[in-house]
Amino acid sequence: MTAAGVLDVLAGDRSRPRCEQVSVVVNRELSDRYRLLRFRSAAISERARAGQFVMLGPLGRSAPVLPRPMAIYTRDADAGVVDIVYGVVGYGTRALAEMTEGDLLAVTGPLGRGFVIEEGVERVLLVGRGVGICAMTTVAQDLAPTSVQVTAVLSGRNRESVLGQDVLRDCGADVLNVTDANGSSAVDAVRERLVRRFDDDPPQQILTSGSERLTRLAADLGARWNARTLVSVEAHMACGLGYCHGCAVGNGDGATEAPLVCRDGPVFGLRV
Amino acid sequence: MELGDLELANPVMPASGCFGPELAELTPVDTLGAVVTKTVFAQSRPGNRTHRITEVPGGMLNSVGIPSRGTTVFRDSGLGGYAGLGAPVVISIGGLSAQEYWQVVDELGACEHAAVEVNVSCPNLEHGGATLDTDLDAMTHVVSGVVARSTKPVLVKLSPQLHGMAAAARAAQDAGATAVTVCNSFPAMAVNANSRASELGNGTGGLSGPSVKPLALRLVWTAAQAVDIPVVGCGGIGSADDVAEFLIAGATAVQVGTATFAQPDVMPRIIGELPALTERLGAERIADLIGTLTIRSEDWQ
Ligand SMILES: Cc1cc2nc3c(=O)[nH]c(=O)nc-3n(C[C@H](O)[C@H](O)[C@H](O)COP(=O)(O)OP(=O)(O)OC[C@H]3O[C@@H](n4cnc5c(N)ncnc54)[C@H](O)[C@@H]3O)c2cc1C
Ligand SMILES: Cc1cc2nc3c(=O)[nH]c(=O)nc-3n(C[C@H](O)[C@H](O)[C@H](O)COP(=O)(O)O)c2cc1C
Ligand code: FES
Repeated sequence: MTAAGVLDVLAGDRSRPRCEQVSVVVNRELSDRYRLLRFRSAAISERARAGQFVMLGPLGRSAPVLPRPMAIYTRDADAGVVDIVYGVVGYGTRALAEMTEGDLLAVTGPLGRGFVIEEGVERVLLVGRGVGICAMTTVAQDLAPTSVQVTAVLSGRNRESVLGQDVLRDCGADVLNVTDANGSSAVDAVRERLVRRFDDDPPQQILTSGSERLTRLAADLGARWNARTLVSVEAHMACGLGYCHGCAVGNGDGATEAPLVCRDGPVFGLRV
Repeated sequence: MELGDLELANPVMPASGCFGPELAELTPVDTLGAVVTKTVFAQSRPGNRTHRITEVPGGMLNSVGIPSRGTTVFRDSGLGGYAGLGAPVVISIGGLSAQEYWQVVDELGACEHAAVEVNVSCPNLEHGGATLDTDLDAMTHVVSGVVARSTKPVLVKLSPQLHGMAAAARAAQDAGATAVTVCNSFPAMAVNANSRASELGNGTGGLSGPSVKPLALRLVWTAAQAVDIPVVGCGGIGSADDVAEFLIAGATAVQVGTATFAQPDVMPRIIGELPALTERLGAERIADLIGTLTIRSEDWQ
């Protein structure tokens, strides 16, 4: 249960994770707010399913004590590389930003249960904001060679800071940017636009990540169109595997613990 | 290495709550001296409010609050997946009253385990919510009851008592403990000035990781001088050198907690490095390091 709706644990399977020490291939600015870090890992690039994440951090004595959870933004099994895109918000992400080519990273992944697009689905709507978009780009990667139509509403402060536009377009998605700068990201405006566009021919699945208000909207639209709605959520984590119990998705029912984001998520079914 | 009847192939085991069977997918956990479970309670418990984890300089805070599915579910699920990992299983037990601790031991019964570790850092509801080992009579009562009920070695995991460690370790020994584990995480908090709120949903939490190592070393040293039973050192260990420091200060074995989060394979790595380290330190066997600390005394030149 979150403010945005009821979460259901999905029974999706997961791929076997690995822990590796890998080297940074690229770590560069994407915009004034975000950076892209590419690391080499044949195993993770091959195994990562859409919507999975890694736990990662610099190695060494003065490195942060905890690894940070980061969505797999894109993976390229042929090149054996994985990209993550991150905002620099605090101590851990500042330490990531300071890494340069060749530096060693400790990475564990791929982790969690990702997005599953069901058999027979023809239209998928992605609704994401900020770094939340990074949890959904791999869905578009997987759907690129299929006939499934992907529409992505990408929300951000301004046009430059909207993540994922290029990747999604390259994957053949129809991209709608909405921004705070021109007012188009207001939830009512997004709702109106989507209702107009999809009421006659709605998507069978809606995926969302990165904003509580957009999650609420996705849940509402899911109910309106009878579309299966999935959300990727965040929680503070230590292990990423399910044994530290740091990442419960809420406060439980008083007797049993709430689901764990790293083990039971990060992708959950969403209902109003 | 021996802790009573518990024989360890090497001195390295995980700290309770910082390990799980999930790690077997990533690293050879059968190389560990033992595995230690997350603390098990008699009844199901939800754990604390979120956020439960944050990082602070040189360490982390947790207020997970020990969620548990209860002893019978744990026992009947192959010890929550710990059975069959190929290392002796130490079951950490907790309770809010003496009866609750004893109920866990009774319900575990003869299920396959090598030892129990009594987590006495739980709030004791019979004594106004203070941790059990701040009231040595209450701790003695609980531990002697566990010793009477269990056929296995009983480790007592003490909380970081900055002043009363010697007395607490002695009380555990007198109550029949096989060994003491020193120590649990340090009560602490983190404040966000912008929101004027605590970082953790529980307000306070336990500090662990590199920054507690000097504190834990001193407590291990204090405990080792106070008792004849073995001391298991715990607090900020993340390398083979750290292990050596704890053994020299008086520990017979060690537990690794927080370090596993960033490097899931840190314990097998450390174990692999122990032979070379032993040789570098001029010892024949790693056990020869135990309690060899001298206090530096240099004359002014
Ligand atoms: C499954 C998952 C996927 C994520 N994917 C991305 C991504 O692709 N790109 C991206 O920029 N961010 C992503 N995040 C959020 C990212 O993990 C946090 O921004 C990061 O941990 C902040 O660390 P910090 O030390 O810089 O910030 P601080 O605020 O200094 O962190 C303090 C502590 O709180 C934790 N924390 C703070 N904010 C968050 C948060 N939003 N989520 C989880 N833990 C937090 C930190 O890990 C750290 O332990 C993801 C989170 C999760 C759970
Ligand atoms: C996330 C987390 C959960 C913990 N859970 C338990 C627990 O269930 N029982 C217990 O006795 N100690 C628990 N501890 C304390 C550790 O076992 C250990 O005593 C402490 O973290 C210090 O060691 P470290 O610095 O190596 O982490 C926990 C610590 C952490 C960080
Ligand atoms: S992060 Fe450890 S259980 Fe989820």
